[in-house]
Amino acid sequence: MMSDAPSGSTRVPQDGLHVRHCGARSPHERAARSDVAVAGATHERDTRSDAEVTGAGPAGCEAAVASATPERDGRYDVVVVGAGHAGCEAAAACVKLGLRTALLTVSLADTAKMSCNPAVGGIAKGHMVRELDALGGLMGLVTDRAGIQFRMLNRGRGPAVWSPRAQCDKARYSVEMGRALDSLPGLARVAGVARRVRLERGRVAAIELDDGRSLRCRAAIITPGTFLNGVIHVGPRRFAGGRIGEFAAVALSECLAGLGLERGRLKTGTPPRLHRDSIDWEALDAQRGDEPPMPFSHWSDRLEVEQVPCWLTRTNAQTHRIIRENLHHSPLYSGRIQGRGPRYCPSIEDKVVKFAERDSHQVFLEPEGRDVPEIYVNGMSSSLPEEVQLGFVRSVRGLGRAEMLRAGYAVEYDFVLPHQLDRTLEVKRVPGLFLAGQICGTSGYEEAAAQGLVAGINAALRVQGREPLVLGRDQAYIGVLVDDLVTREHREPYRMFTSAAEHRLLLRADNADERLAETGFALGLITREQVERVRAKLSAIEAEERRLARIVVWVPATAAVGDAVREAPAPGAASDDGAGADAGPAPVTRKSDPAAAARALRALDLVARPDGSCAALASLGVETALPPAWAGCLEVRTRYRGYIERQQRVAARAAALEHLLLPVALWEEPLNGLSREAREKLARWRPATVGQAGRIAGVSPSDVAVLLVHARRFAIAG
Amino acid sequence: MPHDTIAAIATATGAAGLAVVRVSGPGALAAADAVFAGGAPLADAAANTLHHGWAVWPAAAVAGGAPARALPAQGRAPRPAGQDDVAAAKRRQAAGPPGEQSPPGRSGAAGERACTDNAGIAPGTRLDEVVVAVFRAPRSYTREDVVELSCHGGALCAARVLAALLAAGARLARPGEFTLRAFLSGRLDLAQAEAVADLIHAETESAHALAVSQLGGELSRRLAAVAEAVRDAAAEVEARVDFAEDVGGIEVPAHVVESVAAAEAALAALLAGSAWARTVREGVRVTLVGRPNAGKSSLFNALLGDARAIVTGQPGTTRDLVSEGLEVAGARVTLVDTAGLREGGDEIEALGVARARASLETSAVVLWVVDRAAPLAEEDRRIAERLAGRRVLVALNKSDLPPAVAPGEIGSLLDGVPHRAVAVSALRGDGIVELTGALAALLGTGRAGGLAGAVGNRRHADALERARAALARATGAARAGAPGEIVALELRDGLSAIGEVTGESVDEDLLDRIFSRFCVGK
Repeated sequence: MMSDAPSGSTRVPQDGLHVRHCGARSPHERAARSDVAVAGATHERDTRSDAEVTGAGPAGCEAAVASATPERDGRYDVVVVGAGHAGCEAAAACVKLGLRTALLTVSLADTAKMSCNPAVGGIAKGHMVRELDALGGLMGLVTDRAGIQFRMLNRGRGPAVWSPRAQCDKARYSVEMGRALDSLPGLARVAGVARRVRLERGRVAAIELDDGRSLRCRAAIITPGTFLNGVIHVGPRRFAGGRIGEFAAVALSECLAGLGLERGRLKTGTPPRLHRDSIDWEALDAQRGDEPPMPFSHWSDRLEVEQVPCWLTRTNAQTHRIIRENLHHSPLYSGRIQGRGPRYCPSIEDKVVKFAERDSHQVFLEPEGRDVPEIYVNGMSSSLPEEVQLGFVRSVRGLGRAEMLRAGYAVEYDFVLPHQLDRTLEVKRVPGLFLAGQICGTSGYEEAAAQGLVAGINAALRVQGREPLVLGRDQAYIGVLVDDLVTREHREPYRMFTSAAEHRLLLRADNADERLAETGFALGLITREQVERVRAKLSAIEAEERRLARIVVWVPATAAVGDAVREAPAPGAASDDGAGADAGPAPVTRKSDPAAAARALRALDLVARPDGSCAALASLGVETALPPAWAGCLEVRTRYRGYIERQQRVAARAAALEHLLLPVALWEEPLNGLSREAREKLARWRPATVGQAGRIAGVSPSDVAVLLVHARRFAIAG
Repeated sequence: MPHDTIAAIATATGAAGLAVVRVSGPGALAAADAVFAGGAPLADAAANTLHHGWAVWPAAAVAGGAPARALPAQGRAPRPAGQDDVAAAKRRQAAGPPGEQSPPGRSGAAGERACTDNAGIAPGTRLDEVVVAVFRAPRSYTREDVVELSCHGGALCAARVLAALLAAGARLARPGEFTLRAFLSGRLDLAQAEAVADLIHAETESAHALAVSQLGGELSRRLAAVAEAVRDAAAEVEARVDFAEDVGGIEVPAHVVESVAAAEAALAALLAGSAWARTVREGVRVTLVGRPNAGKSSLFNALLGDARAIVTGQPGTTRDLVSEGLEVAGARVTLVDTAGLREGGDEIEALGVARARASLETSAVVLWVVDRAAPLAEEDRRIAERLAGRRVLVALNKSDLPPAVAPGEIGSLLDGVPHRAVAVSALRGDGIVELTGALAALLGTGRAGGLAGAVGNRRHADALERARAALARATGAARAGAPGEIVALELRDGLSAIGEVTGESVDEDLLDRIFSRFCVGK
């Protein structure tokens, strides 16, 4: 398995070959073509090179690229397997960093397909999309183009956990992602099915396809989603597939096992889809988007979109009875499903069984697009037989006549236990092999995209011989995600939560650009114009802070500071709005107000009050020239200053341990003094830093102390 | 890196009935066998058994791998082993042998030198009659093989047995190394390891009881219950942040605020014993101040029952600080006699006064000696001003003479300063018992009832005080309607501070708690 000789046989270019080269024809492309001709003559003649000769070269390589990848022999630098949410971001990052990149997918039409819910973002997930965006990722921009309803979640809570979410038109999302990829010069979108990763001298050398083609490369990023040995369950029926009606990547999974990778099995599910004309909309409660909608992307100025509502209903005693009576048909409860499902996204069967005391659960009806009839029944994920699904669906208010376009199902799939990955998402034992998305044990489009970006960037940096990019836990949710993946044990698909981030107040959706744009620019992921935009925003906010610190306003003595209590949001309220501007009568007044003795307050301190805001200042005649979004940033920074500074100090202390590297050779030592569990865990994970070691479950603070002693002894002895 | 074999005298030096030499490490039994002549080899002995026999000079090094080095070229003439040699070996351990650079990372050098120093002793020479205790790994203090040789008391016997063990290849243990190994082997957690150090250094019975209680894990048990409650509260708060649409409701429900408040109260109760517990553990300083010739030194001597300080009728006799230890209700008190706080004395006295002021700053209680037989003077008023913010015990001295100070005069001078006043006669010894009792009360012995589980360690007390403050901020924030993530921040801070004492991390099972309690996920 480690090394394959070239086949030697001359293959005929196949009819079914789709290699689509994107981007404008450029002088670079012509140069590339002549390189390819030479390469085709001297190298293994796989169909990939044939295609190069007959088609175009890896187009659009820019000057910087040429120097980064001197041997322009017609191979790809990076092949990305799978064009889901991880694969698209990975490929885009590679192209932006100047690599000749191929994006391999079964069907070009299924690019960035939203296999499950028709939404992007949400709590913590929305944060990651903002971070991706600041690092040049595509998800935010594509969501802005494909979104049909935009909401800021958690508005009733503190701004650190405000999270954007958008309902999307699924078909439009695929189209817009395809367009975004097409606009990247030099990306080859290839249709085909990966069968095998070929190694030469222990390193990734090519991706072999099941039709015999072979894509040579120096690094590969594998993003197969649920297709990796996927098995679908609908009631008693069980068949291979990554999505309903599609195939399963069985050979690829076996290949990974052959490379010595330890695999596990996970499960996820999707709810039924209903026909929109069969629903009694009058009986449902609407949930509408924010007006005006706030864009996801830092680079979108304003959204012109006619928003559509989602609809809310609830299960009832009848629903639960039907489910209970049919549990024996459930593959989950009959033991046919072995893989672990996510507890945060339970099937309706799970909800009814595990929370038997609850007599009702929420159900959200979400349109899958503007012009399609499918309605996604969020909250009713199920793998019960179709007729049972139809039965319990129809028991719900508003769904009495519902027609099911597609039944819900559960899918089991293989994943690679992620402790075998580096913090760059490279497989520790296979140089050049990167994994991203569900194969690493995550769920969610956003988690997948974030990993795709990390894998893409680091694959490119590896090919170019540059330092890897590891985002810190205090720098980005993406950093938390990757660190959690490769450091912790996972019993269910990993999803991001804000509580996973110990430095949560630092990692806000409003400051993702501030945190990451400079990194993105330094790497070459965003343009100078983009980073200048972020710098301008930051300096405008800081200037405004200085200005407001010099302005004095007068607060009547009767309105004691701290008297104002935030309004508690109504339970389950969809449109709660605690943004401050509406916090009753303005608490401040001018000195000229003769009513009461007033006391002086810096305008900035007024903003810092629980009931303060830029809007409240404006009512006193202190107008801010900042655009509303920037004013929002200023409010957050001001109001949470004390807490933010505290977290910064904690993060700085933690960073000391994060920067203490543990030499790989340390794991060959007997490491006396560690508990047996810690010793086993450390040998398995081989953490890169002391900080990481401390986060491994079973490694106690005293184990960390012992490890420090050993690391020190080792350093002295070495 | 495998441990080598270490040895040290485990008991304090000085006249005593017994002295114990302890050996620990993979070569402990071999080293002990090399110096032990008894009924059967210790290597065959069962765990946890005692063996009687003689300690003898060994034939050759057997433990630790390396044989004893030959005498260095400039080696001294052989002479009998003795305490001096071991002491010298210890000094070299710290400084390295003179004229010879100890190779870095080689800690066996001193032991080998100790061996060479005894090279003249014939193998088999009887050193002392001993009882040997054998402990086998992992059921020993260090979780290694451990042998303890009980020899006759006094420094010499134990020192010779130790020298013999070093000659047999063991290395002289560094201070605290046995406990370090116990900690490194997981035998003790950090809190327990610290308790052992406290136990060893306990100078009073209360300090001993406190250390024993901590070693038993009493504090950890009490904290576990507090941490459990805080983790539950954190899960409630986090669930509302991360699953807004599923859990809903107000930010922090009242029952969560209440349980955090209860946890805070529990910590406060633990800490209330802490000032006294710390007093017990660390001892406190009590500084005497007062006008010249008020009788400070007489009282000092009276309290100690000993003529420690020079007493004359001459004001300003005491020039420098004189300090002496005494036990008050189980706490170790360092009593400091001073030159008073008089200004304008000669240069030497001025220096003494400066030191007295410094001592005052670090004292738990100030003992103000007032000459009750003379009217209060301007200087008394100046002293009283300096006592603001301190706890003061007033000794109204010279109670054998007619009083010239009215009751209440002292009280008005010390307005707002916590104090007690007791009439005493240092000369006759009247009121000394009452004075000691009042001192104990000011030091906080009123709370001494339950020292079990009290927080006697400064590091622990600091951490728990931080935890308590964080929980107080959490309830404050929740009651003020702060958003959940702010309350959660405080709860996490609190948990992490508790974790510093119990050694647990914050977020181990947060999600488990959330998922077991809330039906989340659309």
